Amino acid sequence: MTKALAVVGIGQSRQAKRREVTIGAMVREAVRGALEDAELTFADIDTVVLSKTPDLFDGVMNPELYLADAMGSVGLPVTRVFTGGSVGGHAAIYGAHLVAAGLARRVLVVAYSKESEGNFTWALSRPLPFSAQLGAGAGGHFAPVIREYIRRSGAPEHIGWKVAVNHRLNATRNPYAHIQRPDITVDEVRNSPMLWDPIRFLESCPSSDGSCAVVITSEEHVPRTDRRPAWIHGMSWRTETGHFAGRDEVNPQAGRDCARDVYRQAGIADPAGELDVVELYIPYSWYEPMWLENIGLAEEHRGWRLVEDDRTAFGGHLPVNPSGGVLSGNPTGATGLLRFAEAALQVRGMAGEHQVQEARRAVGHAMGGASQFHALWVVGSEKPAVAA
Amino acid sequence: MRDVAVVSFAQSPCEAANRRDDMAGILLPVIREALGAVGVDRDDVDFFASGSHDFFEGRTFAYIESLDAVGAWPPVSESHVEMDAAWAFAEAWSWLQLGEGDIALVYGIGRGSLAADLDQVLPAQLDPYFLAPLRPHRDALAGLQAAAMIDAGLTSERDLAEIVVRSLSAATGNPYAQKSGHLGVDQVLDAPYVSTPLREHDVAPVGDAAAVVVLAAGDAARRLGDRQAWVRGLDHRMDTHYPGVRNLTRSESTRVAAARAAELAGFGASEVDIAELHTEYSHAEPLLASALGLERTVVNPSGGPLAGRPVTATGLVRIGEAARRILDGRAGRALAHATNGPALQHNLVCLMSGEAAA
Amino acid sequence: MREPASEPSVLREPASEPSVLREPASEPSAPTLPEPLTTMASPFRMDYTYVAGTGRSVFLRGLAEGRMLARRCPACAQVYLPPPEFCSRCLSRLDEPFELDGRGVISTFCVVSFPFPGQVHEPPYVVAHIQVEGSGTRLMHLVREVDPADVRIGMEVEPVWAGEDERENSLTSIRHYRPAGDEYA
Repeated sequence: MTKALAVVGIGQSRQAKRREVTIGAMVREAVRGALEDAELTFADIDTVVLSKTPDLFDGVMNPELYLADAMGSVGLPVTRVFTGGSVGGHAAIYGAHLVAAGLARRVLVVAYSKESEGNFTWALSRPLPFSAQLGAGAGGHFAPVIREYIRRSGAPEHIGWKVAVNHRLNATRNPYAHIQRPDITVDEVRNSPMLWDPIRFLESCPSSDGSCAVVITSEEHVPRTDRRPAWIHGMSWRTETGHFAGRDEVNPQAGRDCARDVYRQAGIADPAGELDVVELYIPYSWYEPMWLENIGLAEEHRGWRLVEDDRTAFGGHLPVNPSGGVLSGNPTGATGLLRFAEAALQVRGMAGEHQVQEARRAVGHAMGGASQFHALWVVGSEKPAVAA
Repeated sequence: MRDVAVVSFAQSPCEAANRRDDMAGILLPVIREALGAVGVDRDDVDFFASGSHDFFEGRTFAYIESLDAVGAWPPVSESHVEMDAAWAFAEAWSWLQLGEGDIALVYGIGRGSLAADLDQVLPAQLDPYFLAPLRPHRDALAGLQAAAMIDAGLTSERDLAEIVVRSLSAATGNPYAQKSGHLGVDQVLDAPYVSTPLREHDVAPVGDAAAVVVLAAGDAARRLGDRQAWVRGLDHRMDTHYPGVRNLTRSESTRVAAARAAELAGFGASEVDIAELHTEYSHAEPLLASALGLERTVVNPSGGPLAGRPVTATGLVRIGEAARRILDGRAGRALAHATNGPALQHNLVCLMSGEAAA
Repeated sequence: MREPASEPSVLREPASEPSVLREPASEPSAPTLPEPLTTMASPFRMDYTYVAGTGRSVFLRGLAEGRMLARRCPACAQVYLPPPEFCSRCLSRLDEPFELDGRGVISTFCVVSFPFPGQVHEPPYVVAHIQVEGSGTRLMHLVREVDPADVRIGMEVEPVWAGEDERENSLTSIRHYRPAGDEYA
């Protein structure tokens, strides 16, 4: 890339069971927010990228067709990206690529899920043809991986409870977050029902409706507003095969490669020292120490110590998910883009009550499949010296 | 713009219902053939892009299953669109513009035969509140569009029959075609209506196939073969969703996409030797030809989708077939078109040439 | 908080009868307009044919005969169980099938402890990744005939087959896994 890229507009809807709006109206909430933030109109947008998890979740096939009007995309190129739960990150990066390639000036990246309109449990609990009907449920895939992490690292079991409390307390400072539990305690998490041992109920993400939108442009098209942009210092995606012998799903190679690539672009030698805040895709509490290690913010087997020492809590040296994260709101199609957008809000100084003081560089992270799909970006308050 | 070319294309025969092979069984030999033709090892591929849709496969995350079959180890740079793979081609082309790599592999899977009845499935493409509950027949909106075209004097049932005859006749030279033959116009006009004024042969037969395109940039493309089909311009545009709001006899999105692609290419749709159009119905040909400004161009020399429509691979097959005619020296310039959505709502135009930009 | 749900990736399902609820926007309406709708039902029914493919068919037919059939890649020697038709690494067609006894070790596991809709087994039960001896891929299956509290990573396990007359072209021909030999004692 030869020119600096920036996030200049961010919008999001409240995350909840949104029975009072249609899919289109909920998507429009985020789109309107992003355009107003950037002080742009639909006429300024020249390309749209849509992020969405499986269409079976809410029963609308190729939703980019029905949403053409809601997204303001009539007459524009529209691409609907889908790469598992990381899709929001992939969509943001594809949008940025289109600007970097000179194929668009201002890209609107839109993401949503409205799973309350479909039968989400049904969509996830159907038997797979040609496979044993195990009925493991959604967490059944991740629980064994968490067990393996705990075995390797020797982390004490309260780490998972502590992460769950941290993220829920963070959510109380984010008016868009679905789960609001200002009184949550470690004891409450510990005593919540065991779902997929070792995952407890309060260590798990909810299912939410919600939307998010961002506007990405290049330096020459950054609108003159009172709000500063978030500059993209690096972005990368990596994918690996989901199932083969010797695959390390606790610390997947694709995530490590992705992080290495993005820090190289951003000129970051010491990620833990140079990053001020991170928004990570943490669907179950134990993924906080796991991802901290995976993307180079902690030594292997020692990520849990950052939790233990309160370094990742709000007010710590490296706050993780000040927005409340996936544990506090999970509109799956938008969850990845929300991480990217929240990182950008932090370095723009626009995160409101969950603003981390002097946040100058932040990571947005998204993950999907059997921890196969990884997307990352580093955003900063300063224009990168050498474009990423 | 960086010079980027199609250097290889492979496809599997389109079958009405392939009950022998799973998705990987259809796809992997095609990937091997496309890479083998230009001597590229999988490890040489810098970027992978693919297109498919769960609603045709009948399961969530069908894409992940195909990805695991294709394999991604060591980890790769990769993306996927839940659309026709022509849009994955567009993503790969834009990725190569970044200069982070030189070779991209694009694959499309289309399994039209797995759904027991597409009338159960395709209404889900419509506005979920106003249109989907009406559960229109899968060809109903196309019938409305064809009727509007005839009503406006833009085509006739006989014109459409002639398009069918020409397409199926051309397909006799295409070993991958699902349907082909030398029919007479009257024979076509004697076939029963499916959705008036569209008759049996006016509707593309849905089938199962995979398509793979290898893209390469600059010197890498020149190194991989004697000829390249340079992607000189590509664009795609969306129309509004509601058929009742649009003038169904025109395709504004196709016109705009073609104009933008021509701007990038330095030549327009009217200057190509052949055009492969994603015509799921015969009436789409005059409609698209008008939007594109095609006049004496040879349309769908492969037979086009009327000879076989492997759902989400159909658009990528158009790009591959158009490129193939440049690669084998039968065309200097070619156009490929892809579409999705009711009554041609979303359209992509790709202009290719045997010559790179000056 | 609602039922937890996230990216399950390993779970895929055939489409049939999702009950989809729709609700139009409830803008404030003028007094003469009808009350806004809150929900409308729009159930879809979709039926599919699934194609196992030649590779998986070999494995599924083997299960009906009480045999676990693996295949090896001639190019990279990777052994697949269950085997597809082509190697995902080399794209080569896999060699002829050969039989494994199915014994292996638990590489990791979880205990499903709560009831949820569509559940087949009564909780608590153990779902494990099993590294079958001689195979390069892991198999996911139930582990029973052991207290969930006693299951551990590295435990040796063996398949428990359904009776000959109950076996079919399905992984259900293996009822579950259980601790093997000396582990069991």
